[in-house]
Amino acid sequence: MKKKVISLVLSAVMAAGMMAGCGQAQQAAPAADAAAPAADSTEAAAPAADTGSAGGGKTIALVTKSAGNAFMELLANGVKEAVEAAGGTLIVKDPSAATADAQITEISSLISQGVDAIIVSANDENALSAVLNEAKDAGIKVLTADSDVAAADRAVFVNQADVNLIGQTLLDAAYDLAGGSGQYAILSATSQATNQNAWIDAMKAAQEADPKYAELELVEVAYGDDEPQKSTDQTQALLQNYPDLKVIVAPTTVGIAAAAKVLQDQGSSVKLTGLGLPSEMQEYMGTDDAHSCPYMYLWNMIELGNLTGSTAMALANGDITGAAGEKFTAGDLGDYEIVDVNGATQVVLGPPFQFTPENVKEWADKGM
Amino acid sequence: MAGKSGREISAVPEGGLKSKILSWEGALVLILIAVNIFGVIVSPVYNATNVLREMPKYLAEAFMVFGMGYILVLGDIDISVGSIVCLCSTVACFAGNAGAPFPVVMIACIGTGLLCGLLNGFIATRFTELPTMIITLGTQIIFRGIAEVSLGSGGSISMSDTTGLKALATKIGPFPLSFFLIIIGAVIFITILNKTTFGRKMYACGSNQTAAKYAGIEVQKMRLTAFAFMGVQAGICAIFLLSTLFGANTTTGNGFEMEVIAMCVFGGIATTGGKGNLLGGFIAAFIIFCIRIVLGQKNVNTQLVLVIIGLMLILSVVIPAISQAFKKKPKV
Amino acid sequence: MKKKSFLAKLTGSREVSLLLVLIVLLIVITILSPTFLAPANIAQIFRNNALTFVMALGMLCVMLTAGIDISITSTLAFAGMTIGLLQKYNVIHNTFLLFVIGTLIGVGCGFINGLIIAKAKVAPIICTMGFMYIWRGMAYVISNNNWASGADVAGFSDFGKDGSPGPYVILIVVYVLFFIIMKWTRFGRRIYAVGSNAEAARVSGINVDRTVISVYTIMGLLAGLAGVLSVSIYASAQPNMQYGKEMDVIAACVIGGVSMNGGRGSVTGTFLGALIIAIIAKALPLVGIDAIAQNLVKGIIILAVVILNVVTQRMMDRQNLLRREM
Repeated sequence: MKKKVISLVLSAVMAAGMMAGCGQAQQAAPAADAAAPAADSTEAAAPAADTGSAGGGKTIALVTKSAGNAFMELLANGVKEAVEAAGGTLIVKDPSAATADAQITEISSLISQGVDAIIVSANDENALSAVLNEAKDAGIKVLTADSDVAAADRAVFVNQADVNLIGQTLLDAAYDLAGGSGQYAILSATSQATNQNAWIDAMKAAQEADPKYAELELVEVAYGDDEPQKSTDQTQALLQNYPDLKVIVAPTTVGIAAAAKVLQDQGSSVKLTGLGLPSEMQEYMGTDDAHSCPYMYLWNMIELGNLTGSTAMALANGDITGAAGEKFTAGDLGDYEIVDVNGATQVVLGPPFQFTPENVKEWADKGM
Repeated sequence: MAGKSGREISAVPEGGLKSKILSWEGALVLILIAVNIFGVIVSPVYNATNVLREMPKYLAEAFMVFGMGYILVLGDIDISVGSIVCLCSTVACFAGNAGAPFPVVMIACIGTGLLCGLLNGFIATRFTELPTMIITLGTQIIFRGIAEVSLGSGGSISMSDTTGLKALATKIGPFPLSFFLIIIGAVIFITILNKTTFGRKMYACGSNQTAAKYAGIEVQKMRLTAFAFMGVQAGICAIFLLSTLFGANTTTGNGFEMEVIAMCVFGGIATTGGKGNLLGGFIAAFIIFCIRIVLGQKNVNTQLVLVIIGLMLILSVVIPAISQAFKKKPKV
Repeated sequence: MKKKSFLAKLTGSREVSLLLVLIVLLIVITILSPTFLAPANIAQIFRNNALTFVMALGMLCVMLTAGIDISITSTLAFAGMTIGLLQKYNVIHNTFLLFVIGTLIGVGCGFINGLIIAKAKVAPIICTMGFMYIWRGMAYVISNNNWASGADVAGFSDFGKDGSPGPYVILIVVYVLFFIIMKWTRFGRRIYAVGSNAEAARVSGINVDRTVISVYTIMGLLAGLAGVLSVSIYASAQPNMQYGKEMDVIAACVIGGVSMNGGRGSVTGTFLGALIIAIIAKALPLVGIDAIAQNLVKGIIILAVVILNVVTQRMMDRQNLLRREM
């Protein structure tokens, strides 16, 4: 009996502790109320977590896909440049794992902090819906970059390049490297990666649309889960299962590097192209037989970051709302217009950029 | 009864307020209060409104502390719970999108959990030679595998009708519904474990299975029940997680198993069985949530947060051991 | 005392039941993919899974003392990330030195594990779970969102390159070494003694604490070595490397007949267990199973093999019992 009483008391103490801990701050709650009012008394006590009210500058938050991702780091650097140039401050949140669960935790915390705008590179198309709408209700502007969510859940999507254009470009590369006919395979990240699937579908659609590609045969889409080990296994399996394979297309940075290493180590005649980071790939790029990748594509991640940062600032300042047809200036990048693609508004950076053995070192040295 | 507590900071005999404060649960309450005071000092936005707003996602996870507590007390372990959560939410989404009314969706979700738990329990009791860690490691891959296959390429599904889920996410006063359910659950499960014969039998099984068997306790039945319980709670976790996610994907619930086990251990439940108090696990869960919320609001590197939680976990088991050693020394 | 007949010894051995499972597995795979047993493919099986093979030996030692270590892939990532960054920032490029540094980091991590487990009497799963978070977190923190890859580790990665004998040499050396240690040295017998009955071992004069500490240190050493190997083989160091793969290592040991309650298990069994895991990983993409279903199939095979193991063991025990009664 005594134990039960004690348990109850402890529960009560715990609840009281929570309330006491928080209760006192109740009157300071308005400070957290999203749209960030002018500095109030709590500001002095809390220099660090400026809720966007410091000096009228806007606070922008970027939620990346996960921590420890060099690709995302480039984006973050670009966003930081643009946001700071426009007089704002940037909070970068790297979720502990590449899951929607972990992103929700981070976004939830950002709502508490009352930032002005949240940029998300979504790990899942649907699962962020509830928390993003909560952010919107709190007056926070929401936009996506690199990887999108459903159009209704965000104001605008900053797209690296048009999906169909990426699909077409990758298909043309495969066509070119295969010499117009023969087998090719795709090595993707996970079977669930939204943008990977969109690009692969675009490739298939482009192939069906034009009889020029009739001689080209897609034999398999393999998934390396963006793990070097699994990507290696899958690449080796492709080589073994399809002795006549001519080209592998890997639209993922981890996959393309792993595949490049397998092909180069084995001295295979199979050629590789796809989307990759110059710093990861410079070892493997060359047109001769000793190198596996003659050319590949990506977009300028820093510029994508710059554009994302500028878009976020424009949204936070109320210059744009995310509707199609609106125009804004993105720093040195020039003027951009929001376009409507199948009912989803987006800003498109530009066509994918081609990396060749000649320019890859220069870009790698730039940190990309 | 005080001996049930996994770690005693003091050897003061049972009874009296002093012993209660000096017990591990007492220390946990003090830590919880300290964390909250720390939160208010360092983060200007750490207040009741925000904490309760950020809480629901964490609370869903806390439902599993009870089941895991039971399993650990029995001396078993279940590392498939994260995958069960994934499978349950997937099934719930399919059921919901097929037009099933919300109560049916809930039953489907929790029922799936029950089935998964029963499967774990069935294998564990049928093949007693196998450690439950390795069984649940296998089912961990299988349950998530089933979800992966049924989700197909794309790997993600969203609930089209969210009215039922929104009802689950409603708040009563400032508190989310799940907060009350957790408290009620805590009272029920702690009472069962501490006050009933069933609970005492669990401790008996965990301390010494052979002895318990000869004392006439149906050990295997107890284990099956515990795994089934665990499955049901994973189902409940899934339905509340759905109320914050509105959908499921192949990574849902990833890593939950370790987090839940960490909460139990931090709360003083020994993984070797027969020791510990569920109340401790329950308080420890809230400590970890509050720490995560504070550090999140201070934008601390999320990986550093994991380092801090890891350190806390180790300190929570090392400190009592050291203090025990110091107490023994003078006697030698 | 009559000596057991050769046949009885054979059917009574756990490794034989395992070998049967392996043969069945291989037959099925070869039917589905006839080129599976090509020499090049077999070499790849060992190279791609060298990490599992190496770490399984450490896990064997740990499990023999009735312990477990789930921090190994975090140690691996911490060691691997460190040597990756040392090269990225042009501090050290000497392959031998990098191997030494990576392995020493592993030794340090393992030693701390062992110290806490032996001296503070903390349950191994709890202690290593704490360090699982800590070392993995440290790998992320030191990486500062950077990867070391291709060009950064050029030269060093030649050691683990496809076609280089490096990984195979390491595999052979560690397996031969461990086979000798576990079978014929006093240290090996001490590990078995501690695992079978710690109290009896203590009474008979074995320093149990020291044995436990050395076992976890060995585990750390092999995890550190695996970290270096991983960077060398895949020419890439990322903080999330080999995430979750500790379960593969544990599964390899359990499949190989190592008891989680301590005292039972062998180097041969561990090797066969790791081989089964490696073959599954290699075969799944080859036999044409849909990519999405590969995890499910892997899980079912692991569970089936483990259960099959128990069933055959039961049958053998019963048969041996019958024979004794006659």
